[in-house]
Amino acid sequence: MNLFQSITSALDNSLAKDPTAVIFGEDVAFGGVFRCTVGLRDKYGKDRVFNTPLCEQGIVGFGIGIAVTGATAIAEIQFADYIFPAFDQIVNEAAKYRYRSGDLFNCGSLTIRAPWGCVGHGALYHSQSPEAFFAHCPGIKVVVPRSPFQAKGLLLSCIEDKNPCIFFEPKILYRAAVEQVPVEPYNIPLSQAEVIQEGSDITLVAWGTQVHVVREVASMAKEKLGVSCEVIDLRTILPWDVDTVCKSVAKTGRLLISHEAPLTGGFASEISSTVQEECFLNLEAPISRVCGYDTPFPHIFEPFYIPDKWKCYDALRKMINY
Amino acid sequence: MTPSRRPAVKAWRLRGHLKETCGHPDGVSPAFGSCRNPHCLRSMRKMLAAVSRVLSGAAQKPANRVLVASRNFANDATFEIKKCDLHRLEEGPPVTTVLTREDGLKYYRMMQTVRRMELKADQLYKQKIIRGFCHLCDGQEACCVGLEAGINPTDHLITAYRAHGFTFTRGLSVREILAELTGRKGGCAKGKGGSMHMYAKNFYGGNGIVGAQGQIFEAYNMAALWKLPCIFICENNRYGMGTSVERAAASTDYFKRGDFIPGLRVDGMDILCVREATRFAAAYCRSGKGPILMELQTYRYHGHSMSDPGVSYRTREEIQEVRSKSDPIMLLKDRMVNSNLASVEELKEIDVEVRKEIEDAAQFATADPEPPLEELGYHIYSSDPPFEVRGANQWIKFKSVS
Repeated sequence: MNLFQSITSALDNSLAKDPTAVIFGEDVAFGGVFRCTVGLRDKYGKDRVFNTPLCEQGIVGFGIGIAVTGATAIAEIQFADYIFPAFDQIVNEAAKYRYRSGDLFNCGSLTIRAPWGCVGHGALYHSQSPEAFFAHCPGIKVVVPRSPFQAKGLLLSCIEDKNPCIFFEPKILYRAAVEQVPVEPYNIPLSQAEVIQEGSDITLVAWGTQVHVVREVASMAKEKLGVSCEVIDLRTILPWDVDTVCKSVAKTGRLLISHEAPLTGGFASEISSTVQEECFLNLEAPISRVCGYDTPFPHIFEPFYIPDKWKCYDALRKMINY
Repeated sequence: MTPSRRPAVKAWRLRGHLKETCGHPDGVSPAFGSCRNPHCLRSMRKMLAAVSRVLSGAAQKPANRVLVASRNFANDATFEIKKCDLHRLEEGPPVTTVLTREDGLKYYRMMQTVRRMELKADQLYKQKIIRGFCHLCDGQEACCVGLEAGINPTDHLITAYRAHGFTFTRGLSVREILAELTGRKGGCAKGKGGSMHMYAKNFYGGNGIVGAQGQIFEAYNMAALWKLPCIFICENNRYGMGTSVERAAASTDYFKRGDFIPGLRVDGMDILCVREATRFAAAYCRSGKGPILMELQTYRYHGHSMSDPGVSYRTREEIQEVRSKSDPIMLLKDRMVNSNLASVEELKEIDVEVRKEIEDAAQFATADPEPPLEELGYHIYSSDPPFEVRGANQWIKFKSVS
């Protein structure tokens, strides 16, 4: 299956298992602009898979309401770039619902899905990676898968998780990434990073599409520099798996974090800060962050903006030679 | 009054008290909770003590306990209420309504409780026992009590920050409300929510958002599109924080601003008008016709919040005028007395009881311990194993339990 098919499979499993589950968002009825919900309306009916008006704030607000009554709400935001009108609902309402009511009420059965990340031609408003904005908000969970197999397991975990979750789907991988994915449901635990490749000289941390870039950098480093890289896919941005990353850095002594989102205030800064607190004496070189520039996501300059393998390789080399 | 008549009168008052405060089988309001109400038990004991004292011929209670002459009150009375302005509706709520003595006494007590509770909150705030934000709704009692009278306890209600009145009418005790305001363990959100975040069964708070103009129109759209049975209510107290409605809204006919959603404008100072309008609106929704809007024209005596004196954007004379001409409690009282549904003394008695209840609740709220510091990290997430929450520096960690 490719990525969008694995998402459809996960949603299919959810609607089958959970009679209260509903899917809604802009254009989900006919199958969605990325075909993630193809066939679901025919299979489960128009009162379980339905369109909403064009109002992200309303979509999330409506989703919170459904979740509070106990039903499972799976909201789709058409592009992560459009999630900002719903920011207030997510941060001020969804994230704080359980806390402010002393656990009397919660909207834990809410999951928000949104296509995320650069796609080659997306420009300012179809390429953003807003995970850092939400990482600053206790009460929600933020998850980014790197592949179809990961996506299905993580999405099912998000839907079943008793906390409101935001699930970002790397849109460039919708068709490009293809893997063997089981048809039956399965879960991948949240808040657990995965060490994809073990190594001893440097730790590379990334999530979503960037994991593949960083994997390529690891093989380049092996080939050209003889450097053994440990590659970690963070998977869950909030709450993130501090232990796995720190254990790895304690072993290797070097850390490089890479993401498409702008450098300043990006999630790499949180990882960097925590790692230097926990592993200060283990570090052989300053922690390196290879990220997007501090500009809005450009249209024509996209190839220059993104942290491609050459930028990462360059940073890696500098760290090894520190 | 001969001694032999006294026990009968006291016993009647005891029965009456039980009916009105305890939700006994022959009693009424689920909003008052059950007999687990500690105030009830306390005053029941007091009543029983008083009765036994009288029976044993012991000394009388002090003179300010007026013995109500046993007289016949009317069972109910019919009142005329103001016609509501309508938007996209052929007909509106009825212009007359019947108020039973029982309901009248209940509403009076509820409104008086809300009024005194708000005034006590004001006092506690000025004594710095309540901190943070506090938005009082005195003046708007007819809205919360009238609304509750028009709906069922199984209906769901959500409101914004001026929530204490609704929290009470939806069933929480004054104790729990005041304890939540003072941030104590006994509070309805365990002391962590405060003024704006109070919740109860079928009552979803209590939310701190002030400006949500766009969001409301999105909600109207969805509700109308999907014919959701939802009553949107605007308590129009003439001011948005410190700005009068004329200066804040291009159209002050709020009941029309649902556009395609029908609306009514209701006299929010008259509890009977609010009740009838709510019944009408609820019936409209329950019949599957979709959403409806209600604008309640009301007034708040206090400022927007405790940090607002409330007189920099309006005159004291205006406040005084509303208080003397349209106070909701006074309006109900006059109606009941003039149509022999109750006596002045009887209502005064209720005032005294309510004052006592609030006093006790305030005592509890002041004396109850605060939630333990460990609870700072609780209920952020729902999680099976408790996990650690980082504190303000790396040596402080809180456990999050859910």
